[in-house]
Amino acid sequence: MHITGTLIWYYYICPREVWLMSRQLTPWQENPFIEIGRLISQESYKKEKKEIHLENIVIDLLKTEDENVVIGEVKKSSRFEKSAKMQLAFYLLKLKQFGVEATGQLLFPKEKKKITLTLTKELEEELEFTQSKIKEIVQKELPPPAKKIKFCSKCGYQEFCWS
Amino acid sequence: MKRTIYIFSDGELKRKDNTLYFETEEGKKYIPVENTQEIFVFGEVTINKRLLEFLTETEIIMHFFNYYGYYVGSYYPREHLNSGYMILKQAEHYLDNEKRMILAKKFVYGAVENIKKVLNYYALRGKAINEIVEKINEISKSIDTCTNTESLMAIEGNIREQYYYAFDHILDNEHFIFEGRTRQPPKNRLNALISFANSIIYTVVLSEIYHTHLDPRIGYLHSTNLRRFTLNLDVAEIFKPIIADRAIFSVINKGIIKKEHFEHKLDGIIMNEKGKQIFVQEMDEKLRSTLQHKNLNRHVSYRQLIRLELYKIQKHLIGEEEYQPFIMWW
Repeated sequence: MHITGTLIWYYYICPREVWLMSRQLTPWQENPFIEIGRLISQESYKKEKKEIHLENIVIDLLKTEDENVVIGEVKKSSRFEKSAKMQLAFYLLKLKQFGVEATGQLLFPKEKKKITLTLTKELEEELEFTQSKIKEIVQKELPPPAKKIKFCSKCGYQEFCWS
Repeated sequence: MKRTIYIFSDGELKRKDNTLYFETEEGKKYIPVENTQEIFVFGEVTINKRLLEFLTETEIIMHFFNYYGYYVGSYYPREHLNSGYMILKQAEHYLDNEKRMILAKKFVYGAVENIKKVLNYYALRGKAINEIVEKINEISKSIDTCTNTESLMAIEGNIREQYYYAFDHILDNEHFIFEGRTRQPPKNRLNALISFANSIIYTVVLSEIYHTHLDPRIGYLHSTNLRRFTLNLDVAEIFKPIIADRAIFSVINKGIIKKEHFEHKLDGIIMNEKGKQIFVQEMDEKLRSTLQHKNLNRHVSYRQLIRLELYKIQKHLIGEEEYQPFIMWW
């Protein structure tokens, strides 16, 4: 199965979301938090703003500093920093598999925060482990049961899980 | 919560840059797109392709009703909520008759319980309907042993007929008497009102289905056929008593809908434009009114309740949790 950056993102938040997303059961799009995230992504970095589609992944922006390729991801907040890091690392891994050595930048325009990321061996190992865990979740017939966690209150699946 | 726009007058719906306006003889009325989720068109309205492209962009659904207030069809922006998995699950529960009957019975059960809740609410207010509740209970006994949807539909129709007779006691208004259910066309004012109210609920439920991954074409109680959407008809059964019927009682008992809001057409009776406008407003208010939700622990509108019902059905189809229909708790 095709693992996408989105699934990596959700894995570090809630396994139930991974299962739902894998079956195209997307979260409630009118959730104001999702709309804000989209708006921030659209409005920031308009000059360098590009969406690169590579196989089954979508990268937010791409620029070259001298000879180095730098890819970036724009996020609404650093609340999901771990997810953001691992998602970016995943993209770096994909690029590496295409023969492109790149570094990453995580951008949080609202907080004016920037984190640089390079693909280390540890990250590669963690990604391998994560991908197999994701496959495990997705292959099950039933989704992981709903569990109340701190992310529920602002999640686009809140009404679905708790209806 | 995004709003619904209702258009009763004749005119042209136009797009200008990134905004929408409705132009009539009297002038232009701008429509706030960011705050609109759907448009109900009752009047004679002209539209063009440019407008439809814009509706797709802004994800606004447009529903059309004919002169008689019957639902004609919708413009639904190219499907963005697609899940092959969900459609297969829906089909699975339809093609397996046992699974289908489980869901079909739940819809009937939900409808009947809500009908009884409504009747009991008015029985407490001294209306002579206990006999009718008895009859309904009697008929309901045969729901469990049904093995096909035809017999289930017959039982449901029977119960509803009894229920509608109770309206005469609840309304006690000489201008609005039931006299038996007539449709296509309705033969009296109350029937015209019931038909119109139902039409709105069917469309609202359809609209909500469009905001989920469910396909409205696969229903369980109502036979899935080539002609129309059936899932919305199923789910509507649960909400008709608590939203549509209560709106009917409200407008008649408060005297806001009167006999002058109806007119003769061909060999039947329909609501006139003024009547439809008034009633639609009542329904809209009802849909936006809120109640406390047990699980979510906050207030939700009746409209959101419909969406939550659909999520419960989705979870049933996935195999996660058995669907329990919403039953009013007063």
